[in-house]
Amino acid sequence: MEYGKLFLVGILQAALIMLTAPLLDGISRRVRARMHSRRGCSIFQTYYDLFKLLKREQTVPPQASWLFTTTPYILVAILLLLAMIIPSITLISPLGLVGDLFAVLYLMALIRFFFSLSGLDSGSTFAAAGSSREMMLAVLMEPAMIMVMLTLALLTGSSNLGIISTQVASGQISLLNPAFGIGLIAFFLATAVETGKLPFDLAEAEQELQEGPLTEYSGRGLALMKLALLMKQVIVIALFVALFLPFGGAANLSLGSLIWGTVIFLGKLLVFYVLLAFVENAVARYRIADVTTITSLSFGISLISFVFYLVAS
Amino acid sequence: MAAGQFFVISILLYAAGAGASLLLGKVDRYANYVASVAALFAALTGMAWAVPVVAGGDGFTLDLTGFIPIAKLIIRVDQLSAFMTLAISLLTAATSVYSLSYLEEYSGKGKGLLGFFMNVFVGSMILVVTTGDAFYFLFFWELMTLASYFLVSFEQEKKESINAGLVYLIIAHVGTALIMLSFLIIASKTGSYDFATFKEAPLSDGLKTLAFIMAFLGFGAKAGIIPLHIWLPQAHPAAPSNISALMSGVMIKTAIYGIIRVAVDFLGASDWWWGLVVLIAGAVSAVLGVMYALVQHDLKRLLAFHSVENIGIILMGVGAGMLGAALDQPVLAVLGLMAGLYHLINHATFKGLLFLGAGSVLYRTHANNMEQLGGLGKRMPITALAFLVGAAAISALPPFNGFVSEWYTYHSLFLAAKLGNWWVTLAASVVIVMLAFTGALAVMCFVKAYGVTFAGSARSHYAETAREVPSTMIAGMFILVFAIIALGIGAPWLAPYFSSIAASVLNQPAVPASSGLIMYPAISSQGTLSTPLIAVLLVGLVTLPLLLVLLWGGFGAGKRMDEAPWACGFTYSSRMGYTASSFAQPLRVIFRAIYAPNTRVKGPRFTSRSYFEGRVHYESHAVSLWENYLYKPLVAAVMRTGTRIQKLQAGSIHLYLLYIIIILVGFLLMATR
Repeated sequence: MEYGKLFLVGILQAALIMLTAPLLDGISRRVRARMHSRRGCSIFQTYYDLFKLLKREQTVPPQASWLFTTTPYILVAILLLLAMIIPSITLISPLGLVGDLFAVLYLMALIRFFFSLSGLDSGSTFAAAGSSREMMLAVLMEPAMIMVMLTLALLTGSSNLGIISTQVASGQISLLNPAFGIGLIAFFLATAVETGKLPFDLAEAEQELQEGPLTEYSGRGLALMKLALLMKQVIVIALFVALFLPFGGAANLSLGSLIWGTVIFLGKLLVFYVLLAFVENAVARYRIADVTTITSLSFGISLISFVFYLVAS
Repeated sequence: MAAGQFFVISILLYAAGAGASLLLGKVDRYANYVASVAALFAALTGMAWAVPVVAGGDGFTLDLTGFIPIAKLIIRVDQLSAFMTLAISLLTAATSVYSLSYLEEYSGKGKGLLGFFMNVFVGSMILVVTTGDAFYFLFFWELMTLASYFLVSFEQEKKESINAGLVYLIIAHVGTALIMLSFLIIASKTGSYDFATFKEAPLSDGLKTLAFIMAFLGFGAKAGIIPLHIWLPQAHPAAPSNISALMSGVMIKTAIYGIIRVAVDFLGASDWWWGLVVLIAGAVSAVLGVMYALVQHDLKRLLAFHSVENIGIILMGVGAGMLGAALDQPVLAVLGLMAGLYHLINHATFKGLLFLGAGSVLYRTHANNMEQLGGLGKRMPITALAFLVGAAAISALPPFNGFVSEWYTYHSLFLAAKLGNWWVTLAASVVIVMLAFTGALAVMCFVKAYGVTFAGSARSHYAETAREVPSTMIAGMFILVFAIIALGIGAPWLAPYFSSIAASVLNQPAVPASSGLIMYPAISSQGTLSTPLIAVLLVGLVTLPLLLVLLWGGFGAGKRMDEAPWACGFTYSSRMGYTASSFAQPLRVIFRAIYAPNTRVKGPRFTSRSYFEGRVHYESHAVSLWENYLYKPLVAAVMRTGTRIQKLQAGSIHLYLLYIIIILVGFLLMATR
């Protein structure tokens, strides 16, 4: 049965993203070290960190409730689900029936909901400040993200991510369409903000907020939270890739094209991570008050993209 | 006729509950039991007749003819009426179970009267949505308004309650007057007050538009559409919490019922700009409602502003449906109306739950202000869990019910945007973006509401000594928790019913809304969703991190040690925790144009002196622009005109005789022309 096969592909995607997220982080750390003229750690260092943390005991603030301790598991589960919905290896969405782009957007909101609540639940000031910033960023980014996604959905007539990917890859949406190209720029900015890397490292701001909502996590909780954040970076990039650069994804479910699709997908991720590492090295973190410039810029660009669609229609 | 008999029994039960509660007013102890139990059984009877009608589609008519000559009391129930009754009864059942213990709060303060008004209030709501005659509709509408007015200003010792009641009464009556005008316009052409004749009223386009605008503004005042919302955040928090739940959960929905009845059923949504007006009014109410909610410190006030937001979201769906009806797009019409109706009952469940949750907090702490709470999640864990479910549902997070109805709203707007009408594409797309923005703000707002009230550490003595509420209150809340889960995860099975209700209002065939576990908006290629699969997958996928932790970390590792949060080396104090104001601070600054915050700092400012002497006094208010720039000038203008007109009334009998003569001459002239 086709659905059964697709479900397996979904599991494969989820496993791939969960397993490679720490590796990609390791590579990005290595690249940054090289740019600092350091030798840097092994590219597998992030795995070692996570495994070490899993074995440590947890120190939990006494006022924290069950919400604080269960959030890491919930976050990883939601991210795995997202990894199954967003088409990465394939062009069609493995779990396209389960959710479309609106569902993806709101599942990402679900992540933020628990992430921020865990910060508030710890009772720590730093964690709460991070929570507040996380929510603020979401509020500021949401209009731009939906505007771009809507423009793409209007171009294809469907909100199914798989159909969008397929149409972009097969050239049914021309790459020269200004609505597409300008939307790409807007969504790229949004993706950069969503990955939470420099210069948008606001919620977890390592230097001033001690990693925001992660402040009070330790041991296995911290390991899972870190894993969740790493997975989230990959998934945000995967979403961008699915919408704008789906080329090379497997068009059918034959073994050969699946393997080829996996290789291409990993290649794209690698390029993104190296690029982001360059950016991270070159810039300083945005001040919290300045971030509106970028978010409104992104929204402005997305609006232009929509206007191009509207004029052409 | 079984349905009709159940209907009569249910209304009689409300009446009996009201009467008995009033009579028992002297023996205060039992009044709340009698009132609540009567309401519970009345609600169950209501559901017993409403469910088959909603499911089967066969309504009934009860001809309870004339007590007075000009109008007949006719009960005419169709699917829409039955659906509204179901929503009202569901929430009433939950609140009446909750009230059994909750009303203990009001011992010695007239519980009997409270029970009386509660039953009258609910009974009149049911009659409003089932009456088939304009005269009696207005009569029950007024009864509903008055009963709720007395409930709002029930706590007479509080000045806010009196003020809130007054503002509510005035705006509600302006609304009623407008609705009356709208009905009179239609009735003037049909010569009857019977709703059945209203549908074929031979109205000219101009009169139709006038009737629509009057009805929309009139019902809009009750629904709390911005800028007619100012009574809502005052009145809903002032009432006892079980009543707030009913007011926010279902009373304002009767206004949505009115809008659908008049604009779609009677007037046939004939112009496409009507839909646009409803859509835009909804979008503005949604965005501004949630933005105002974000800066509130009072939990119930915050929830009241969210009602403004959710009414907006419901109107987005209704507006899209009206657009479809006017543009001859039956699929869009049914889909939009269906999304609106789905959100209507969803909002009744989660807003009811949240108000009951806020009531439970109030019951144990007696503190409205979130800043004084905190840490209740450990002390009232079951209430906290219920509130969390409500918060997730109202933030439209999958797989809960709020997401399902918003998803259908998104898709009806998306379908509208695809129609090819340039203006509609523009409007629908803008509204989609506004809905997404509303969603993001709602998530932030409820992270704040839950986080500041239930999470973190207790910030006051009341919060520290709080304990779990009595079991009947928990039961009341969990009725709604189960309803939320059923409407969310059971959506693929329930969606076709909503489609059929919407279709029956529009006289169109129902659109396919789901098949098997998968929901889709009429066309499956436009998008699909499956909340049960999301729920199952999430539960299934949680096992993966659990396995990882158990296999790698082992059972022994990861023992929990309690240690105070990091406070830069100082001793942690609960005063270091984040408050509601600090959480919303970034947005207050970014959107200062909307909040127009009035901030004052007294005392030494940024100088070295500030470290050694004096207290710094900081004060910040979010100014209500609507009140300052719309209502205050309006009130002032009315007062000024009043004073001017007063000059006519000089107290001289000769002058009055002159007026009479002038008027007589005027009439004579008019008659002879």
